[in-house]
Amino acid sequence: MSGSANIRDRIRALTPTRDLLSLRAWRGPLTEELVRSPGQFGLGQIPTTLAPDATTTTVCGFCSTGCGLNVHLKDGQAVNLSADTTYPVNLGMACPKGWEALTPLSSPDRGTTPLVRRRRGGLLEPSDWESAMVLFCEELKALKAKHGPESVAFLSTGQIPTEEMAFLGCLFKFGMGFIHCDSNTRQCMATSHVAYKQSFGFDAPPFTYADFEESDVLVFIGANPCIAHPIMWQRVMRNPHSPEIIVVDPRATETAMAATQHYAIQPKSDLTLLYGLAHLLIEMNAVKRDFVDAHTTGYEEFADFVRNFPPARVSEATGIPEERLRAFARSIANGQRVSFWWTMGVNQGHESTRTAQAIINLALMTGNIGRPGTGANSITGQCNAMGSRIFANVTSLVGAHDATNPAHRAKVARSLGIHESVIPTQPSLAYDQIVQGIADGQIKGLWVIATNSSHSWIHQSEFNAILDKLEFLVVQDLYPTTETAQRADLYLPAAGWGEKEGTFINSERRIGLTKKVRRAPGQALSDFSIFQLIAHYWGCGDMFSRWTSPEATFQLLKEISRGQPYDITGIADYRHIDESGGIQWPLPEETSDAVAPSVSSASTPSVEPERRLFEDGQFFTSDGRARFLFDEPRPMAERPDDAYPFLLLTGRGTSAQWHTNTRTAKSDVLRKLYPARCYVEIHPDDAARLGIEPNAPVRIASRRAEITAAAFITPTVQPGQIFVPMHYGELNQLTFPSFDPHSRQPSYKACAVRIEPA
Amino acid sequence: MSTTPGLVNEVNLIDQLLAEQRSLTAVERFARRHEACDAPAQARYYHDLIPLSKPAAGQQYAFAVDLDACTGCKACVSACHSLNGLEEDETWRDIGLLVGSMPDERPYLQTVTTACHHCAEPGCLEGCPVMAYEKDAETGIVRHLDDQCIGCQYCTLKCPYGVPKYSSRLGIVRKCDMCHERLAVGEAPACVQACPHEAITIRLVDIEEVATSAHPGTQMISGAFDSSYTKPTTTYHSLKPLPANAAPADAHQLRLEHAHWPLILMLISTQMAVGLFVVAALTRAAEFPLMAAGFAALNAGLFAAVFHLGRPLGAWRFFLGLRTSWMSREILAFSLTATIGAPAVAASFLFPGSGLAFALNLITSMLGLVSIFTSAMIYVDTRRALWSPVHSFGRFFGTTAMLGIMGSAVVFGASGWTRGMQWALATGMLAHLFLLAAGYAGYFFPKRTRQSAHTLRRFLPWLLPARAILFTISGITSILAMQTGWPFAIAALLSCTAAQLLERYAFFTTVHAYKMPGGI
Repeated sequence: MSGSANIRDRIRALTPTRDLLSLRAWRGPLTEELVRSPGQFGLGQIPTTLAPDATTTTVCGFCSTGCGLNVHLKDGQAVNLSADTTYPVNLGMACPKGWEALTPLSSPDRGTTPLVRRRRGGLLEPSDWESAMVLFCEELKALKAKHGPESVAFLSTGQIPTEEMAFLGCLFKFGMGFIHCDSNTRQCMATSHVAYKQSFGFDAPPFTYADFEESDVLVFIGANPCIAHPIMWQRVMRNPHSPEIIVVDPRATETAMAATQHYAIQPKSDLTLLYGLAHLLIEMNAVKRDFVDAHTTGYEEFADFVRNFPPARVSEATGIPEERLRAFARSIANGQRVSFWWTMGVNQGHESTRTAQAIINLALMTGNIGRPGTGANSITGQCNAMGSRIFANVTSLVGAHDATNPAHRAKVARSLGIHESVIPTQPSLAYDQIVQGIADGQIKGLWVIATNSSHSWIHQSEFNAILDKLEFLVVQDLYPTTETAQRADLYLPAAGWGEKEGTFINSERRIGLTKKVRRAPGQALSDFSIFQLIAHYWGCGDMFSRWTSPEATFQLLKEISRGQPYDITGIADYRHIDESGGIQWPLPEETSDAVAPSVSSASTPSVEPERRLFEDGQFFTSDGRARFLFDEPRPMAERPDDAYPFLLLTGRGTSAQWHTNTRTAKSDVLRKLYPARCYVEIHPDDAARLGIEPNAPVRIASRRAEITAAAFITPTVQPGQIFVPMHYGELNQLTFPSFDPHSRQPSYKACAVRIEPA
Repeated sequence: MSTTPGLVNEVNLIDQLLAEQRSLTAVERFARRHEACDAPAQARYYHDLIPLSKPAAGQQYAFAVDLDACTGCKACVSACHSLNGLEEDETWRDIGLLVGSMPDERPYLQTVTTACHHCAEPGCLEGCPVMAYEKDAETGIVRHLDDQCIGCQYCTLKCPYGVPKYSSRLGIVRKCDMCHERLAVGEAPACVQACPHEAITIRLVDIEEVATSAHPGTQMISGAFDSSYTKPTTTYHSLKPLPANAAPADAHQLRLEHAHWPLILMLISTQMAVGLFVVAALTRAAEFPLMAAGFAALNAGLFAAVFHLGRPLGAWRFFLGLRTSWMSREILAFSLTATIGAPAVAASFLFPGSGLAFALNLITSMLGLVSIFTSAMIYVDTRRALWSPVHSFGRFFGTTAMLGIMGSAVVFGASGWTRGMQWALATGMLAHLFLLAAGYAGYFFPKRTRQSAHTLRRFLPWLLPARAILFTISGITSILAMQTGWPFAIAALLSCTAAQLLERYAFFTTVHAYKMPGGI
């Protein structure tokens, strides 16, 4: 070191100043590229080349955490972004997807004009909006005329703003007069929706993110927030109570690694485990009788039922020794503020609704609900799955109403200014039933909006074969390159997150605002505008004359919410949401009036930033009591056997990947953060037995298909089980189509396969 | 559309919606909350994560990583990318994964975040021929002077952590500078600002202590290179003991490294050149044609090397690195060789067989051999197993001997000295046999270079057989040359050269490049 310092001094002595021509170029155009300068707007230093002239906050459009992102604007257009320091969700942090949220918008494969495939097997050819709209309406009207209102369906998404979802659902059912439609939220949140609705009387995740910080025991079941919801995990890490963190997962996930207790149960033995815990809690006298008596029904029957789940039975089913089961139950019993959290490990199961309700039952019987740091809490998946659950107008009437209830129909008709007769009373088919309808030839036209079913739907190869039966397939997406769009007869180019306005509802019921900070490429239009166009060309534009903008639509939806559990009539407008850092539902008008105006903003009333439900023990059922719901566990649909001895688990790969990778694969940075090739986690014992070398190709075969993946030999999976992340297109060729009977959510995480070196 | 004043334009709905789509209204419509705020808002989260004071004498800034807090969200990588305005595919931070099992057989997973380690004795800095690296006297931050860089990429070979990365757009290397401008005003580096779990902090470390504690055999974390080489300052902390079997998730991943074709051509060409000069000095036969051919090959090689530089115009500054950089020394040695080589060739032409010509050639040959030595040292100095002294010197001097002798054979044959040609062909083929055998020995009995042998087997299984075939061809053509005439010696020389190009291709592509633990 001293040597190089010497020579440096000598060189410096030779050169009078750094700025004159010298032997060492300290400055110059290359150095300038990366110079940082004070960024203003509270940003600290930022690259001079990306210095903004304004900033604005928007809500991220990937997952349901709903982080606030601070967009750096130059001439009104986003040039960069950073995590928003003050947003109550993420407190200045974001995951890699959030940081890279703008990048997929600039991808060269964005759709810039409508594309038409003039004959099957031909290419998608550029068209224009006029022709595309005429074609869209002619084709779908012809199908409707020939085969009736049940012959066309749509599959939509949890990725677009609430206002667009509502517009789509209302346009399709009330304006165009069709019946069947569903959303990809069926693949992620249907179970939580149904479980809450049955248990609490309304689909109402009760928590607020502060609960992560206030618990002394956190139980994560089938959830891997470390990588799936990293910013929620941030809140767990901020918990000052040195909490007991319990993880139930067949795999030793990142979250299991960070936990204080990990129960690596046998896959799909979670329902038995949860009933067994209830059994032990009763045995330990840990039941809060006063709460149970005052606020629930069905406890006696439930207690009777779980008598049949003694530790011996549960231990056999789960593979967890009895003493560890007791330790688990004791941790819950000893906790003052126990919170239960679940995600797709529960929701994607063949008896998922009952499993979610078994978690709810534990929270109810121990009185762990309605207090800080408690709750039976479903962590949602997509950025606006929660918006979809209330407003999508797919399986329930818009605004979580019941289409068979005349009062509800009248209210919706009044709120929207439409005639009641246009509201169909016939319920929509669920996603899997729509797919079956296409297979059976009942459904002949399909409109896919912002989802990539050809990649994501279970038993993918069959699904794609079924798509070929359609007479007309329309795909509306940012990219004409998705697996689904590649099969379309008509492709409509959509503007993406960041190129349009609207609201998302996050996991903790927080309504957040997403803003237009980029220009969409070419002729791409926001989904909202596309729906406006369709309404116009279909001839039902008058019905939607009040739907002039997303914010105007938000005002309509407020009216629809009146009197409902999620009543948001107290939210003034978009600006109110923006200035409040998002607003959790409910916020009825009177609540909002009661709160003193905030100091910072005189125009809009301030809102308590973190609110939870059921603090008064009153649930949304007719009698105000929560229900204990339960069923005998059933074996999974396709169990490993001699021919297919391994169980295939699926799930999130990394924090840098989102679902079918449609957007995340567009970012070079994100691509660096996940494995490029499909890989499979295999236990070292299995690998040794089968002669599988590290990183060598492995053939994975199910009864439906065969794929190849690189072996990642790791003890994080149990012997006899393998894991493949869901983001790789080939995976769902293998999965077995079984569904929860209540929520009709697919059970992605369990099918029988065999493996061998390829 | 009508533009008649006073009439309402009949605006087409599509045009209207497209126009709306193009208008950006977020700024006007919504609060500009941050407008007045100049102090960095994030400071509330990071003020405890950076030192309050500047480094004292003998101290420097260093990254410290709390492994227990790092749960694999990877936000640090993208935050660094966005807040530093890097190129789309450029990242200064990387994430790896360690996998193993605990003593009680429970699995062990640990993500590892890594950037530049701002070493006490930076390999990049020592290797740089133009002093484009600077270890800041006050902060200890190892900075890269982008406008000084000539894009030789030697630092990317020297750094055992894979930190400096080459940009072909810019023709230079760039790397983490610990956000030195931010630290200078009390702001935290981007990665520190962005970690949701406060896993990355900046600490002050004693440089002397870092240097003395980096004994041979120590490493920052499993999978990292021996710290005694560059004495990295980053520290990784965990309350949980790291299991002994924890290994990088990519430990078994094989990949071909960059081939560096200009360097392959440069090395083969200059080595043949020096061989020709040496043969001329030893035999004193056909001095002028040998030396002329050598001089041509030397300059061809040096010309090829220019194509390896991203910004060759700055290469005249090469002497700045002479104190530490073998690259500088190589450039100097070859420059001198060429400088003396020119009058040597002239002397052998003007005064054939003279003492002057011999003396000049002797100097040229000696300088040439020194140049080959510096060439080899460039690679030896990276400490990569495949580039160890035995491998580098063996290959480089072996090639010098073989191609020099085979080249001489052609020259001897063409100048009518058949016996000399025959001797040269026989000797050259012996050298070729030796090099081929060494290639196979390294493949079948790799010892420290197992990873390279695996890479060769996996990606280039044809390479050694191809070399064997070329050996056979050169053998047959040599025999034909001995029996029928010198033109066949040209074929022998060409196949020998092709064999060495392949050898050198494998030398570059199958080397195991050290780096921090990587992901799956």
